[in-house]
Amino acid sequence: MANDTFSALADPTRRGILELLAGNPELSATQIYERFDVSPQAISQHLKILRETQLVRVEKRAQQRIYSLNIDPVKELEHWAQAIRQQWDGRLNAMDRVLAEEMAKRKANQANHENKGE
Amino acid sequence: MNHHASKQELVITRVFDYPVDLVWDAWTDPSLVMKWWGPAHFSSPSCKIDLREGGSYLFCMRAPESFGGQDYYSAGVYKRIVPQQRLEFTQILSDAEGNAVKPSDVGMPEDFPAVVDFVIDFISKGDQTELIIRESNWSPGPMADNAVTGMNQSLDKLAASLA
Repeated sequence: MANDTFSALADPTRRGILELLAGNPELSATQIYERFDVSPQAISQHLKILRETQLVRVEKRAQQRIYSLNIDPVKELEHWAQAIRQQWDGRLNAMDRVLAEEMAKRKANQANHENKGE
Repeated sequence: MNHHASKQELVITRVFDYPVDLVWDAWTDPSLVMKWWGPAHFSSPSCKIDLREGGSYLFCMRAPESFGGQDYYSAGVYKRIVPQQRLEFTQILSDAEGNAVKPSDVGMPEDFPAVVDFVIDFISKGDQTELIIRESNWSPGPMADNAVTGMNQSLDKLAASLA
């Protein structure tokens, strides 16, 4: 599920696997194990999470499982982040205008007080 | 792995040309919050803030007449307050009394997040203030598209009102 893309990407080993696949379009599970210092069992677990979140595609070829990168979930995540950022842009622009008004008001009040003080 | 435990966080940073006391007030003084927190074309008839840790807030947003003029409420609790430095609070969709409502009951999409956590850092830099906003527990999906559509509409209206 797309919801888990975040947690899938949060792990450095899983990001390492994805980076490896970005540079090598197709790798067997064995070729992936060989590149990491962690146990094959641990890599196997990471690959399972990457499959479940559809960040990788797997294809059975002869006796091998061949992995490749799938960037669709990452695109979805980017799209989501972009939407939230746009929302904040609008909100913070509005806040900026409120601050400008309030600053002018406070300066005017201060000037008023100073004039009265004289 | 507990799938429901996955927390999504987004960080937004912006520097404002105003001193930190003013920026802090914009987030904590109800009369100022009302002017900017809600969607750009919505009005805000009321905003109640009980600014203390464990205190709550209740914010009313009124849709423009062309959108039906309905009132929407959001509420939340202040988790941590360090004056002019840090503000942590939650946000839920609520009724007029501040009780949680289901997103679908107020016309929001099913995947609208139940609780959103906000952590705001205010960093004073002389005449300027850097704001670091962390927003978490949103879920991606159809909601993102709605947010884009809604925001583009808001920005168009805003641009028109400023022209």
